[in-house]
Amino acid sequence: MATELMGFEIGATSAWLVWILPFAAALIIPGIAKLSKNVTSNFSKNATGYVAIGFALMSTLSAASMIPIALEAGEIHNQIPWIESLGLKAGILADPLSIIMANVVGWISFLILIYSTGYMKGDKDITRFWFWMMFFIGSMQLIVLSDNLLQVFFGWEGVGLASYALISFWYRDKKKDHVGTEGRTVLGMLDYYSPTHAGMKAFIMTKVGDVMMIAGMLLIFLFAGTFGFKELIGDTEWAVTMTSQGLLVPAFVLIFGGAVGKSAQFPLNEWLLEAMTGPTAVSALIHAATMVKAGVFLVARIGPLVFALGAAGILADQFFEIVAWVGAITALLLATQAMVNPEIKKVLAYSTGSQIGYMMMALGVAGLSYQYVDGYTAGFFHLISHAMFKASLFMAAGSLLHVVGSRFMTDMGGLRKQMKKTYAFMWAAGLGLMGAPFITTGFWSKDAIFAAVYESGNEWAMPLYAIAVLTAVITAFYTMRMMGLVFFGKKSKHIEKMEEEGHHIHEASLSMWIPYGILAVLTIGIGLIGLSMEEGLHHTFVDYLENSFGIHTEHYAIEASILPEFLQGLNPVALGSSLAAFAIGAGLGYIFYIGRWVDPVKFVNSNIIFYGIHKFLLNRWYLNAIIYWCFVVAPLWLARGVFRYFEKTAIDYGMNDGFQKAVLWSAKVVQGTQTGVSQSYLFVFGAGLLFVVLMLLI
Amino acid sequence: MEYALLQAVVLPLLLAPVAYIIGRKAGPTPAMWFTFAILLYTTILIINAALSGTVEEHYPWTSQFGEFGFLMDGLASPFAIMIYVLSTILVLYSKPYMLHIFHHQFEEEQNINPSASGQTSVIESSALSNYVNTKSGLYFALYLLFAMGMLGTVLATNLIEFFVFFEIMLIPGFFLVALWGAGQRRKIGLMFLFWTHSGAVVLLLGFLMIGFTVGSFDFADINESEIPQDIAMFSAVAIALGLGVKLAVFMFHIWLPYVHGAAPTPISALLSPAMIGIGAYGIFRLIVEFLPATFADLAIWFYIWGLVTMIYGGAMALMQDDIKRLLAYSSISQMGYLLFGIGTISVLGLTGAEMMYVTHAIGKGILFMMAGVIIVKVGTRSISKLGGLAGKMPITAVCAVIGALTIMGIPPTSGFMGEWILFAGALETAIEEGSTLRAVGFGLGLVATVLTMSYLLWMLKRVFFGKTPEHLENVKEGSWYMTAPMMVLAGFSIVLGIYPDIFYKTIIPYMSGVLGV
Repeated sequence: MATELMGFEIGATSAWLVWILPFAAALIIPGIAKLSKNVTSNFSKNATGYVAIGFALMSTLSAASMIPIALEAGEIHNQIPWIESLGLKAGILADPLSIIMANVVGWISFLILIYSTGYMKGDKDITRFWFWMMFFIGSMQLIVLSDNLLQVFFGWEGVGLASYALISFWYRDKKKDHVGTEGRTVLGMLDYYSPTHAGMKAFIMTKVGDVMMIAGMLLIFLFAGTFGFKELIGDTEWAVTMTSQGLLVPAFVLIFGGAVGKSAQFPLNEWLLEAMTGPTAVSALIHAATMVKAGVFLVARIGPLVFALGAAGILADQFFEIVAWVGAITALLLATQAMVNPEIKKVLAYSTGSQIGYMMMALGVAGLSYQYVDGYTAGFFHLISHAMFKASLFMAAGSLLHVVGSRFMTDMGGLRKQMKKTYAFMWAAGLGLMGAPFITTGFWSKDAIFAAVYESGNEWAMPLYAIAVLTAVITAFYTMRMMGLVFFGKKSKHIEKMEEEGHHIHEASLSMWIPYGILAVLTIGIGLIGLSMEEGLHHTFVDYLENSFGIHTEHYAIEASILPEFLQGLNPVALGSSLAAFAIGAGLGYIFYIGRWVDPVKFVNSNIIFYGIHKFLLNRWYLNAIIYWCFVVAPLWLARGVFRYFEKTAIDYGMNDGFQKAVLWSAKVVQGTQTGVSQSYLFVFGAGLLFVVLMLLI
Repeated sequence: MEYALLQAVVLPLLLAPVAYIIGRKAGPTPAMWFTFAILLYTTILIINAALSGTVEEHYPWTSQFGEFGFLMDGLASPFAIMIYVLSTILVLYSKPYMLHIFHHQFEEEQNINPSASGQTSVIESSALSNYVNTKSGLYFALYLLFAMGMLGTVLATNLIEFFVFFEIMLIPGFFLVALWGAGQRRKIGLMFLFWTHSGAVVLLLGFLMIGFTVGSFDFADINESEIPQDIAMFSAVAIALGLGVKLAVFMFHIWLPYVHGAAPTPISALLSPAMIGIGAYGIFRLIVEFLPATFADLAIWFYIWGLVTMIYGGAMALMQDDIKRLLAYSSISQMGYLLFGIGTISVLGLTGAEMMYVTHAIGKGILFMMAGVIIVKVGTRSISKLGGLAGKMPITAVCAVIGALTIMGIPPTSGFMGEWILFAGALETAIEEGSTLRAVGFGLGLVATVLTMSYLLWMLKRVFFGKTPEHLENVKEGSWYMTAPMMVLAGFSIVLGIYPDIFYKTIIPYMSGVLGV
């Protein structure tokens, strides 16, 4: 027992270190930069980078040291005093969910940091870059390991702040750092964004979500008197009171609002596209490890709590319905737009939003089905596999940008010969995104989501399932499109021009391709053992939900199905549609973009309907423009009107100059009576006397 | 320590003439260090007193008014500490900024009197240094009086004493604006005097009503049950209106953008964060504490008035081009938060309102100093002429971002610690009363935070980011006198944001006591 106790104490320290170390690195990085400024050796030039990577590695190793605890479904809960006057404590809660998440975040970030040493080489603001990267990672790990919502909110806003700083990292707004097509407008709104605009947009838009989240948090706090996850599940009296006032579901939905903002779900999805103005390493971090995953994690954090309340008779089904539907709408909405966008990073960004939508759908459906753990595992498994392949894809895309010097896929083309490694790795990761059968992690996790949705047996199962499958078709299609445009076909004019000017198109440097190579290989490598991986995760979560939330999972004997031996246990319908979706999507993509049997431009222009759809999708369903009209243009117009016609006139003139003039005028009137002519004084006096006498007589 | 509070209030008053003489004889630098030393000493006294809990001192005064006393309890200590901390560090900041102003004005006066232009350059430079010495002596003397007036107001224990200090801080304020302001400084100085003085007169009316009804002006003697209900209501409304002018709440706010825009920047940085919030202190002390039953009736109006001010100030801030006017409108909006918090009548909300005073003092202090650095180093205050300054003045940019985050209420800055507890209070009352109006107010309040964020981020974007215009190519970072104070406040903001108990510990027990929870 003593050793176990010892082990847990060490575990607590490492859990704290996981998030403290990145912050510590962020704090010392400016100092290191100052110290190494005057030393000119090669090492000192990159000193800040080495410090960052070293601290990130230590933090990640601390996270890794906790894996055994996760596998035993144990947990570490450690608290220290914080705001004593309100009885609030700070603490860490390392349970299987957060330990696995901390490892995903840690390892992916570590690889991205290594990639950054190559990608950001020679940038003169490199110190600022490392500072914010470490701040970003620290904030994310804080979200993951916190034991209460208030502390989560610190990390939550830290993530927002870091994303603001990193998206507008190139704050000088040079032309090459913009996203969108110059001069293009949608409904009168420019579709062309500078980094500083994009950063601001991301921060404000996610803040809208954060505001909802804080409202939800406060609601729960006021009834429960605590923000702590353990305390909330410990005594559920607060939930009964809240339900009786009809506030329980609103509170959780408001908290989910925070997740909608951070994870770029509909209707707060539009910031994610402009976030592409950041350096690609940042995009990879935002999309794979930190920012957008925070929302999914939050839902995974509170979802079991809501479900456990439901099991205790306090029903909150609407919460799960909303989560599932928001996820489904986002998945389809963003996938459709990825089909037409010409910028490689934007395609990947759309794809992220869409895949996060899958995760949300799974986590939502979980709460609507009998077996909570199925959807829960599926969603979380998809989070892990998505983190791997999307980080890899982004980093590879960064290499392409680096080499080609353009963000447009139309400026690439035919690159498969010059950039063989990137080509191969992008295929591996891209197949993961498409869900290539049996060999990629993406296939298994997506299949698990399909199965969870299909088997959930609630009233929404079929429409949600249809959306999920349709989105899978589209996903396969746009991934093929991306691969085709970048690597196949003829060289673009842009590349030809570059080569004429003497630029040699070459493979990215070692520090760049190794990180995405590792992740691409893992996508396939883990994919090969994907089913057993999923089962392992399932098993861990069954224990976790049982121990922490009392959510009991029934064990069925697996019925024999028509599937072959090694696929036993899978749902045949889900498997079939997953295979079909891949085949249709990839096939269409092949026809248009790799085989190039049909010219997509001619195809779109052949028919007014196709043309209209294309334009609709390219204009982002007009959502972005509508949001700008309603929440930027209209309020500014209103504020200007009030400023001009109320503040400047009624208040400013009325109370200052106008008042002054009125006083002066009345003074003049009074002055007018002081004529100094004695006759007129006598006359007035006489008239007054007469008046008084008359009054007295009457 | 005995007489600690008396020393803290009276020392600056007594030594103000000395500061003047030192300035005149020895120049701005010795005068600055002298002023700094006095304020540092008194700040330490204040903090020391605050650490030892509630401190009360009483001194005999006239028989008519009662005692002349000082009280530092859970309510007064955060106000007192912030006022003196800000005053102390802004002394350092004053020197480079005021020298800039003095040189400017000297040149202007030279141009007006062409007779001086025939002199040799040696005489001219000695004339300049004489001019600067005299002016800086005067400046630091007025500065001490101003700081003393603010502190006295929050420590007063007697209605008349409160009123005296309330007016004392107005007079040096008027001279500081009228002598060294920008633009039409005399007119704006007068506007300041008239507006706040009219407010003060209404305030006095309320004081007299209470004082004559109770028969004493001492705080300790005020007991709401002895005051007839309608008189209590009349005087509470009079006090609220009088203090409302100071707080610059909606409809009484128009003097503030002028004054804060025109005042010399160190004074703006004291006026805006420290002085106007004293209006909120007055509401806490005089209405919430002494007239609780009347307050319960008025609270909903404070709530709505605060909400309107929050949104209105924020919307107007969006429309400003002058950086200091933008910050002034932002102050109006922030004072709305204070009033909103007071209107919640819950311990959390009231605590939040007082925390908002503290964090606004920190955040707005930093932002005004940022504006001052830009005025000195760039020479313009028009946002449309700025851009891309982050690369030119990195320290100022970092501090400004921290200051802006403090105002926006983003953790880990102290702003969040004011904001969440404020809104928790608002929500608590809304639920307890089951009031839709309050719930809607809570929602709109949260929307106002998004508005706050918009105008501040937009300002940062236009000032510090984007392309650098050509005429800004040679801009340099401000001197240490200017950047160090900002860094101190920025650090303080983060410390307080992570460990808010520094102030929560004193505020929460007081508020619980007042509301009888």
